[in-house]
Amino acid sequence: MIAKPLRHNRGFAAALILFLVLFVVYHILHPRGFSTAVFIQNANETVAIAFVAMAQTIPVLVGGLDLSVGSVMTLTACLASYLVVGTPAQMIFGMFLTLLAGTTFGVMNGLIVVFGRIQPIIATLATGAIAMGLALLLRPTPGGDIDADLNWALTNSVFDFAETFGLADDGNAAWLQPFANIPVPLIILLVVAFGVWAPFKRTVTGRTLYAIGSAESAAKLSGLPVRRAKIAAFGLAGFFASCGGLYLAIQTSSGNADITQAGAYTLNSIAAVVLGGTSLLGGIGGAIGSLVGTGILRVISFYFRILSVDPLIQPLIEGLVLLAAVSLGALRTLRIKNKLEHFR
Amino acid sequence: MKTQKALWGLALGAALLTTSALAGPEVVEGPGYNPACFAPWDEETKYLQWEGREGPYRIAVVNGFVGNTWRIQMIQTAKAFAEDPTISDSIAELKVVSTGTDAPAQLGAIEDFINQGYDAIVTIAVSPDGFDRVIRLADRNDVVLVPFDNVLDTDQVMQVNEDQYLMGRTYAEHVLGELAAVGKTSGKVLEVRGLAGNSVDRDRSQGINDVLDESGGDWDRVSVVGNWDDGTAQKVVADAIAVHGEFDAILAQGGTTGVVQAMLDSGHPMVPISGESENGYRNYLAEYADEGLKGISIGQSPGLVAIAMKAAISALEGNVMPQLISVPLPMATYDELEDGVNYWSDLPDNFFTVNEFPPCDVNISGPAIMAQDESDTN
Repeated sequence: MIAKPLRHNRGFAAALILFLVLFVVYHILHPRGFSTAVFIQNANETVAIAFVAMAQTIPVLVGGLDLSVGSVMTLTACLASYLVVGTPAQMIFGMFLTLLAGTTFGVMNGLIVVFGRIQPIIATLATGAIAMGLALLLRPTPGGDIDADLNWALTNSVFDFAETFGLADDGNAAWLQPFANIPVPLIILLVVAFGVWAPFKRTVTGRTLYAIGSAESAAKLSGLPVRRAKIAAFGLAGFFASCGGLYLAIQTSSGNADITQAGAYTLNSIAAVVLGGTSLLGGIGGAIGSLVGTGILRVISFYFRILSVDPLIQPLIEGLVLLAAVSLGALRTLRIKNKLEHFR
Repeated sequence: MKTQKALWGLALGAALLTTSALAGPEVVEGPGYNPACFAPWDEETKYLQWEGREGPYRIAVVNGFVGNTWRIQMIQTAKAFAEDPTISDSIAELKVVSTGTDAPAQLGAIEDFINQGYDAIVTIAVSPDGFDRVIRLADRNDVVLVPFDNVLDTDQVMQVNEDQYLMGRTYAEHVLGELAAVGKTSGKVLEVRGLAGNSVDRDRSQGINDVLDESGGDWDRVSVVGNWDDGTAQKVVADAIAVHGEFDAILAQGGTTGVVQAMLDSGHPMVPISGESENGYRNYLAEYADEGLKGISIGQSPGLVAIAMKAAISALEGNVMPQLISVPLPMATYDELEDGVNYWSDLPDNFFTVNEFPPCDVNISGPAIMAQDESDTN
């Protein structure tokens, strides 16, 4: 499964190698490197932005940008801070409603883009502002009280999860031990990525996304469901963004309609998408690559916590490393003889 | 076999319970250590005590948003203070990171420093909620977590701030005092408010208006929103003067350099005034006090970071500490200003002057901070 994208997308391969190098060196330098506690911390910090980056990937594949993903994450986080309360059954229903709301918002984006014939970047700039306004209505000041046990269980290892909810002999069952130290946030991320994105990509609608990104008119003339695919792309983006929002709400036990944060997440999601080997022109890449891209983005900032770097030049260094990482993906341009090879 | 496993589970559970019961601070009786510096917020404030340990300590500062003068000055102050001879022996290592306005990143940075075994973490929270997990982790690992400036809605951690309501009251008391000295007990005053929806603006304004209410005088109040920003404040004050004519006093709570600039531009007479601790404002106070600009300057000091670091060290030494520390308001009136001491005619207008807290033995001068600044950018 990994080998094929590696062969087909050198950007993804470069990203994966860069991520692994950065990640392993970070853990070697970290005083408690390769320990469960550090893996859990790494995963917790990455989940929300990883979901938003996956959300961004899909509109980018069809050649558009979704500027509403950060706002949808914020809106769904505020919504979840009201809905994910009560009995376990109520909480699960609340999570379902949160994801449904985000998906609906995404589908609405898609409908506006397809039937309103508005450029995605402009349409989502507007709907993003709407999402932010709704979030501010829901949470004019930060608040909410999501269950502390749920927060603890989902932001820790599998062992803590089982212990909190009294499952598998409080996490001591022998069969659980091989997985006991895996961070729950990492499992959530991988289950959604491989459980939703991977199968979707193989459907006709999924393949149509790539066709649209490569050559929209050719896709249309070939009889591919272009409209359906575009609506699905934005709908899926809404779904992934609401996964990020739901996790953020549980992670912080609250909802906070933070405009600056929403903007930062949207911008960082674009950076992660590019780092993960997806072309901003569309047609090349995928959500798994964006997971890796997010990993790179986060690991760079992890370094500032173990190395002594002057706080005021940290953003400068972060920017330089990012630029270098993105440039690595473009290096192949220097080697090819014919520019048309880009499009192979 | 099964019983054995169950017993093992119980033992482990008990071990976990005991450690979590032992870890973290204990709620104890006051009074606390060095109350002149670490003053409790009010009579209800509880006291916390951590188990003392040997220094020197490793301290991390986890800042959120970065990009305005105040935050940059705060970071420079943290670094300058760590090298201060009164404290440098207690600090083995100081690490400063800024995470931007990103809650997961800030929580992650705090968690990382807990994992790395830092003794104390000082932070300006990006949100008043959502820190439950890191508070729990800090307690389990006996790490002292100290939010300051933007504090948390919890009484589970030790926090450091200035009393914004008291600041508002002091602003108004000074201005009314100056007016009374010239025989005015009623008149028209202009209030220049801060960022709408912010609790600091709400509390300062509440303090100002409570004093006006209590004075019994007949005060005609005009209120404008200046966002604590020199440019915005200058514009709204100019508009207010154009519309309402002359005021007997101006009660600003930020962007004060802009407020005075607007008065000068419109030829408004120099009247009693209150304001923040911007260097530009203090320069104006020194220059125009004789003409009637009899002002008071009180500020939210970037030096709060130094008090928070000092409080963290004191807690690590095992001293009894208030849960919510009210830092004495750093203030100066027009007759107390001295160039090179509490304002600097050769430093930029947007430099925040108040950095010294004598009761806390925190004496980092403006030029020392600016010197830090320059050596780092080169």
